[in-house]
Amino acid sequence: MNYQQMAVPPRSAHLWRYTPWPRIHPTQTKELPDASEITFTVEHAEAEPFTRDGQSEDIARVFLQDIGGSSMRLTIHGKGETIHIHARASGHIAVGHLDLVIKGEATVLVHLTGEAGWCGMHLTGSLHKNAHVGFGFINELDANSNLLRCDDWTVDRDASLDTATLSVGGFKCKSDLRATLNGQGASVRQSITAHGQGARHDDHHVEIHHLNSHTNSDLIVNSALADSSHFIATGLLTIAENANRSDAGQVFRNLLLSEKARAEAIPELEVLADDVSAAHGAASAPIDPSQLHYLMSRGLSPDESESMVVNGFLIDAFSNLSNKVLTEQMRTRLTVHLECELKR
Amino acid sequence: MLRVENLHVSVEGTAIIKGLNLTINRGEIHVIMGRNGAGKSTLANVVMGHPAYEITEGSIFFQGQPLEELAVFERARAGMFLSFQYPAVIPGVQVGTFLKKSVASVRDEPPKGRAFRKELTEAMSQLEMDKSFLSRYVNDGFSGGEKKRLEILQMLLLKPSLALLDETDSGLDIDALRIVSKGINQIAPAAGCLIITHYQRLLDHVKPHFVHAMIDGTIVKTGGPELALELEERGYDWLDVAA
Repeated sequence: MNYQQMAVPPRSAHLWRYTPWPRIHPTQTKELPDASEITFTVEHAEAEPFTRDGQSEDIARVFLQDIGGSSMRLTIHGKGETIHIHARASGHIAVGHLDLVIKGEATVLVHLTGEAGWCGMHLTGSLHKNAHVGFGFINELDANSNLLRCDDWTVDRDASLDTATLSVGGFKCKSDLRATLNGQGASVRQSITAHGQGARHDDHHVEIHHLNSHTNSDLIVNSALADSSHFIATGLLTIAENANRSDAGQVFRNLLLSEKARAEAIPELEVLADDVSAAHGAASAPIDPSQLHYLMSRGLSPDESESMVVNGFLIDAFSNLSNKVLTEQMRTRLTVHLECELKR
Repeated sequence: MLRVENLHVSVEGTAIIKGLNLTINRGEIHVIMGRNGAGKSTLANVVMGHPAYEITEGSIFFQGQPLEELAVFERARAGMFLSFQYPAVIPGVQVGTFLKKSVASVRDEPPKGRAFRKELTEAMSQLEMDKSFLSRYVNDGFSGGEKKRLEILQMLLLKPSLALLDETDSGLDIDALRIVSKGINQIAPAAGCLIITHYQRLLDHVKPHFVHAMIDGTIVKTGGPELALELEERGYDWLDVAA
């Protein structure tokens, strides 16, 4: 089925509750507008174009498939190198598809920038048996851009995926991030850090599917929300009937820095196996005054104290990652972002 | 250095401190002992400027300046330090980063990299703290003893002219108590110290000039180190009459 044959999904669907499809579509929902290509520049690795063969029934993925744009595949056999991918989105509408085939160990960082009015990005990744990857996605799009991001990861036996998102760019962003743990002993650790300012709208839907036994997943989502920004995190964690001895956890935390800031945090579990450990939690609150008082009692001004608490809170989302290079890179990017914001 | 005159303090409309007077000079170590709820911690917190406490009457002066004119961070920059009974946890903020920022805030000149590292290493070595502390998040997952050591480490680095120590000895084992006491003794000659404690055992290591007994929001008796021994032996009931 192509895009124009598809029905617009209803808002009653978990995925489309807060950012319905018409709100994130770049023009009118029936249209398939022309798109320019996202430019991928890869450092320290060879990438090649490839032909997309999407089988999805999800409207966003089919839309990204049908609209065109660039396609780049990177096959990694590495032994721990760090690969930087600069993705530049320009023009009215820019679209790109990045496919990662991972057969070794590496840290991959995608740095998305540009002033495109609308940016669509589809990331697919497959981790082969015993592969280990740290994947970082840094959204630093122009403040007026809109972003639709779809991720699809599959993780094979005894492979591990650490994935971290730093979402600080764009005006209206919708991310649909899915990981499927196919093989026994597969694991995914996922961190999402978002900083909301102005009227920024940032919606993250995260699905993790445990299809096999002894699989582990851990998700931490931390957002700090200023002004009238709005952050949404919905999670869907499924554990299949035969996925016994699996361990899964999801935590959503929102730090409200303004009375007008809004946050929705909705983790959801579907557990069909009997012998599993699954937990989820969500919390939204302003900064704890005792933290500010403590820092001010050490000589930090009120602004410096708030900045330090926010910085720490956001960095803490990366604490579940085991890939130290990824953690350090994300921490550095976040600190640079917050320092720039503090100087404004 | 610190002069408290006829201080009355309320929290959410409830009077906690009721007419307290206290003067601490440079080089003096004062100890306040009293029952739970007597107002000891309230005194430390109100001197440091905690926003939950309201001064309803009286004044506090630090180095001759009325404290109500100073915000919390200005009090710290003026040389005041409070070792908290329950230090806040700051997830995601590494101890090393926090210490450097804090020291830079209270000193006229920001610390230079190598000199600061040397100073930090010496202070940590004195408190028998491992370097791995520096990469941990502030008080996150710390044991009670580790939190108190971090408080004393901050005190050594910030070099305050007035140190308020709120039950810094609580929950410490014998070795940790000795180490923490060493830190207090190091800072004491050049500062005024106010130690709030329930136990005489800290005073085996730190020699106070004055011991005050606090009952129901006011100081009812002042003496030397022998008063601490007497309180440990007799409790506080005998002071209720005086209160």
